[in-house]
Amino acid sequence: MGSSIASKETYEKKILDRFSDKLVDSITNLIDKVKPGWSERNKSKVDEWKLMFYAFNRSPPGIIGAILIISFILIGLFGPYVAPYSYREFLYIEYPDTYLVPPGSTVTITNKQGDIVKVFNFPLGTDKYGRDLLSLILYGARVSLIVSLIVILLGVPVGILLGLVAGYFGGKVDEVIMRITDIFLAFPALILAIAFASVLPERIRPIIIQSGILKQVFSVFFAADVRDAANFAPILSVILAIILVWWPPYTRIIRGSVLSAKENLYVEAAKALGVSTWKILFKHILPNIISPVLVLITLDIGSVILMEASLSFLGLGAQDPMVDWGKIVYDGAQYFPDRWWLVIFPGLATFLAVLGWNLIGDTLRDVLDPRTRRSIEFKVKRGKAEEK
Amino acid sequence: MAGLKEYLIRRLITFIPTIIGVTIIVFLIANVIPADPARAWAGGERARPEVIERIRKMYHLDDPWYIQYIFVMKGILNYFINPNHEGALIDPLTSRYVFDDIFLRFPTTLQLAIFAEVFILSIGIPLGLISALKKDTLLDTFVRIFALIGVSLPIFWIGYIFIWIFFTNLGWTTLAGVPVPKCYETGTCPITTHIPLFDAIFAGEFDTLMQIIKRFWLPGFTLGLGYAGVLARIVRNSFLDALNSDFIEFAKAKGLPKRWIWKHALKNAMVPIITVIGLQFGGLLGGAYITETVFGLPGVGRYAVQAISNLDMPAVIGATLLFSFLYVTVNLIVDITYSIIDPRVRY
Repeated sequence: MGSSIASKETYEKKILDRFSDKLVDSITNLIDKVKPGWSERNKSKVDEWKLMFYAFNRSPPGIIGAILIISFILIGLFGPYVAPYSYREFLYIEYPDTYLVPPGSTVTITNKQGDIVKVFNFPLGTDKYGRDLLSLILYGARVSLIVSLIVILLGVPVGILLGLVAGYFGGKVDEVIMRITDIFLAFPALILAIAFASVLPERIRPIIIQSGILKQVFSVFFAADVRDAANFAPILSVILAIILVWWPPYTRIIRGSVLSAKENLYVEAAKALGVSTWKILFKHILPNIISPVLVLITLDIGSVILMEASLSFLGLGAQDPMVDWGKIVYDGAQYFPDRWWLVIFPGLATFLAVLGWNLIGDTLRDVLDPRTRRSIEFKVKRGKAEEK
Repeated sequence: MAGLKEYLIRRLITFIPTIIGVTIIVFLIANVIPADPARAWAGGERARPEVIERIRKMYHLDDPWYIQYIFVMKGILNYFINPNHEGALIDPLTSRYVFDDIFLRFPTTLQLAIFAEVFILSIGIPLGLISALKKDTLLDTFVRIFALIGVSLPIFWIGYIFIWIFFTNLGWTTLAGVPVPKCYETGTCPITTHIPLFDAIFAGEFDTLMQIIKRFWLPGFTLGLGYAGVLARIVRNSFLDALNSDFIEFAKAKGLPKRWIWKHALKNAMVPIITVIGLQFGGLLGGAYITETVFGLPGVGRYAVQAISNLDMPAVIGATLLFSFLYVTVNLIVDITYSIIDPRVRY
């Protein structure tokens, strides 16, 4: 049948495979410098990593996704610094001609004598304050990136920890944690996030305004002016609100996996050897149940970006003059469809960023499936045997 | 089916604490606000002190939070227990019963959910089945990409694009008002469900029905697109799982015709599919805030969002309570449906 023919073909390494081999090798070299002899002891693990990359490199959606998210991360990191204008440059105040200019236009400012004083280029047009839309989108990328990073870094570990504890200890602890989880899951996530995001700013704002360090830290995070410190509060509230609705599904999934994983013999063995409970949880159980969660995290980064943009679209999140993608659409919607660029471009940016994470997540599901790796492994090994 | 009865009772017992927990969380959120709601309700800065004082007394705003909580809960219960709504919770801004306001808007949300569900089922199930039968072909890849694009589309973006295509250019839809059957005014409706879609059908008013379809198909389609992709993937995977199971191998070995094999596999694939459909419908009823905002539909979702920005906490509590109640109820119905289609389910 088809499979026997397929198994005869050898795996040809392409440019990407060689590149990912080098990447893995350099990482292992780096670890070797810290812990000598690490790569020898973990040879099978390193080989497995390489196979994961091969599997990934063979999936066109995965590669498209990788390109999208790498650009998203790069734009998020460096966008605000390469933006042609600042988000605070309200050109309209001085130059009324910059009001809602369509994409690709050049505004030439002349003085009374007819001499050209200034020339502005707006590749994606401007908003009602005469701000360059391209710059706004570049600044907005930073907010989306920071929000999704913080939510995943803070929210997911909380969910995982609660799930581990509930599943492993069982009994009353389990009962209490799961009832609270159920209550949170009984809400549609968005309404809860809306409620939190709308009441939290009043609480957070004074804390930020009074603390000089927080002002500085978040102005670097959001690439925003310190003068907008009061406006950090709504964005931070959105982050908190999303974290508060984000942990319950993780708790439920991890708990279910722990329940079956803790019956395994290796857990019994570790217990018999006197390994501490936390070490069993984090070193023995967690690595064995983390794969599906990794896929979920990747898909969820996309959902966080989408939820953040949606909350901003409802008027929560970024407030004037700060921007994120949802906020630009929220402001631009009243001029739609005449001034379509204010809705289309930031929406497209959101779509591509979310799509990138979803493509990666969907591909990871295949890559993390051991069966996919085994089928590639045989081909690679046969290739090596033939070379000899 | 003694097992089912016990299971139902057990589920109902856990149902009540969940709902109470939901109300407490909402209530605590509402009480986090340091702003003075009484002043906002009375009309802002220029409100007269005696009016503010009266509102404060009426809603027990000076009392500890648990007394306020009991007051609000009593108000909600009174609406449903007393036939003439005596002592029910009143919205401080509209001076109407909170649940009158909510039930006025609920039909819009329900109709949106129904239209979305029609699109979800009619797109998701066929696509899923086709991609399972044509596994690992170009078509399968296409469905996979469609699903991924569907869940990645921001509604506030694709909604406006659809409006531009179907409203501005083609004129296939309307964007203002919510059509209701004429028999509401004349009082000649044979059956009154208060849901315009059904009432128009029962009264035989097909022009009203067409108006409703014209108003709702585009928001429903926009809302359903993402869900349809997810459903297609679930249908595909569970159908493939079922096709790979031992009893299908056995049926094949016995030489059963293909159509029969598919029928057996489909029946077994139904359990996860029904779960997803149920959860999705619960999610749809839980407020399509963005869709309602983009398409200007006066539904409960939009009402809740507006109430939040107006600090109108009684309305927020009422709306959230309705959402979570529907969500939990739909989940319960899904669980019961399992046992009917899959006798292997044990409680």
